[in-house]
Amino acid sequence: MGNFSYLMDGFSTIITWHHILIMIVGVMLGILVGVLPGLGAPNGVSLLLPLTFTMDPISAIILLSCMYWGALFGGSTTSILFNIPGEPSSVATTFDGYPMAKNGQATRALTLAFMSAGIGALAGVIMITLLSTWVAGFALQFSSPEFFAVYFLAFASFIGMSGNAPAKTLVTMMLGFAFATVGMDTISGGLRLTFGIPDLIKGVSFLVAVMGLFGIGELLLTTEEGLRFDGIKARVRIVDVLKALKEMPRYSWSILRSTVIGIWMGITPAGPTAASFMSYGLARRFAKDKSGFGKGDPRGIVSPETADHSAGTAALLPMLALGVPGSATAAVMMGGLMIWGLTPGPMLFIDRPDFVWGLIASMYLGNVVAVVLVLATVPIYASILRVPFSIVGPVIVAIIFSGAYQIANSTFDMWLVLGFGILGYLFKKLDYPIAPLVLAMVLGDKAEDAFRQSMLMSNGSLSIFWSNPLVTGIMALGLLMLLWPILANAVGVRNLRRRAAGHSAKI
Amino acid sequence: MAELQKGYVSRKTMEIVTTLLTGGVGIAICIESWRSGVGWSDTGPEAGYFPFIVGSLVILGSVVTLLRSLFFYNHEGEIFIDIERAKPVLGFFLPIVAFIVISLLLGLYVGTALYIFGSMKWQGGYRWWVSTCAALAVSALFYLVFEVGFQVPLLKGPIEGWLGIY
Repeated sequence: MGNFSYLMDGFSTIITWHHILIMIVGVMLGILVGVLPGLGAPNGVSLLLPLTFTMDPISAIILLSCMYWGALFGGSTTSILFNIPGEPSSVATTFDGYPMAKNGQATRALTLAFMSAGIGALAGVIMITLLSTWVAGFALQFSSPEFFAVYFLAFASFIGMSGNAPAKTLVTMMLGFAFATVGMDTISGGLRLTFGIPDLIKGVSFLVAVMGLFGIGELLLTTEEGLRFDGIKARVRIVDVLKALKEMPRYSWSILRSTVIGIWMGITPAGPTAASFMSYGLARRFAKDKSGFGKGDPRGIVSPETADHSAGTAALLPMLALGVPGSATAAVMMGGLMIWGLTPGPMLFIDRPDFVWGLIASMYLGNVVAVVLVLATVPIYASILRVPFSIVGPVIVAIIFSGAYQIANSTFDMWLVLGFGILGYLFKKLDYPIAPLVLAMVLGDKAEDAFRQSMLMSNGSLSIFWSNPLVTGIMALGLLMLLWPILANAVGVRNLRRRAAGHSAKI
Repeated sequence: MAELQKGYVSRKTMEIVTTLLTGGVGIAICIESWRSGVGWSDTGPEAGYFPFIVGSLVILGSVVTLLRSLFFYNHEGEIFIDIERAKPVLGFFLPIVAFIVISLLLGLYVGTALYIFGSMKWQGGYRWWVSTCAALAVSALFYLVFEVGFQVPLLKGPIEGWLGIY
């Protein structure tokens, strides 16, 4: 059990007052961005990232990952109390969480949500603990063509899983790649796609894109919908918490099923949103008595929450071991790692085991801290949402633009954020998926390098992607994913997916 | 356009406009990468090789989406935005533009304070002293968090210079 002793080393690194304090701060900030409209996990992590450049990488990753956990919990809070999903991945929680809270059982709904979320997250971390060295070891035999094949698989599954509009996914993804190539070409040193604008020579940071697309775009949508936060008063009483805890074992089957779905969807780039919808759909399908769903059925809370969080944590496995993030937030964190000079992927496990296992250990502790903190602070955060939007909105805008400026001390970036904001608004209204764009921006350089090196190895022949069983297998899987809509149509699985896509379109 | 006179833009129009926009971007990407060279040099693929493929795929995706919007459209009759809804969006968007312009001239601290003051005063309908206090508080908080806490500087303008803050 080499992993176990590594994990213990990790714990010994992170259990210091300094790191636990950072964890608490990260979780609190995370809940805040999860609760506030227009500030989701990807955006929150992007805003915090420039502030971590001066910290040591372990503290920085603890801060960012804990913010991620906090944001996931914060998103569930608003779903239940306000019927407003703070995160796209917590939309499914509103279906039953809000009705239950409305029936006067807010504490029960929150406790069920947080506990199942915590269990889901821990299951995800345990999976990471068990599998990461193995996956990383497996990936050590990869060279450029294999890496490109893995990227191809990741992006192909995005297109294949994108429900009703694969062409739109293709457009946003390729735009992401294009943004990533703007500026200096790392191999030839030539300038590309700068259109003669000097400010573009340094390139377009993915952080700028995330802040605009997720932040400003979301805020514009929020103002359009004219959201009114008339939530349910939540007073968390210990008795109710304990009562809800006692009924948890009844849902162990739902939790188990949702964990499996979540972990699978988190490792593959389908991500937490798809996982929570699918898990909700299946819980409903397998339930003997369906009448309670939509009216506050506890299984309708437990299932999406477990899947959401296990997918959220599981998304870090491919990021750490392969360098392919499984969600938009994981992509932003990976971008952060690269800025700190750490290259995610198999070599990270050999070069910086202290970092990897410190992070994994912090995931155990961070999620426990998050469950406790979120239960304790729900009333405070709920009251923040009652502050009128005419104050909260501008403050968020000011934070976003201050953050955009800090990335590279560039005023041009502020205009870019505005542009990305308009684009995000447009894309969201027309159901163009945004996560592939962010992933492509973060992975763009690495995917291109892998592609060009493969081309160099084969003198420009694409046959290198079929040259050995390993790369052939991954490529074939990628093609299968790409053609999945057509195949699934033939088999008839697609109907279920489309329904889930229809739900997520409303965000 | 008949729609504009009735005070709304249909979703179909926006779908088509967006595909034309993304398609145009795709063409621009292809042209720019063509200039950087899309072929092979002594050191392997030239700088524009990869972006050219990317640009072509953007065009492909845009054309498919355009054709789908024209011939296989499944959001018939949906409205993208009408005047009633466009007003709050513009009311939120235009102050952001003003905020950026002011921040570029006077620095982000002053810009933030003025922006928050303006939004609270004219959109939130708060009294001027409430708005002033909130605006100053937010700017001060930014200063404490960014400048003092994390030691990352924000854009400053002439006013901080007069006050001797930096």
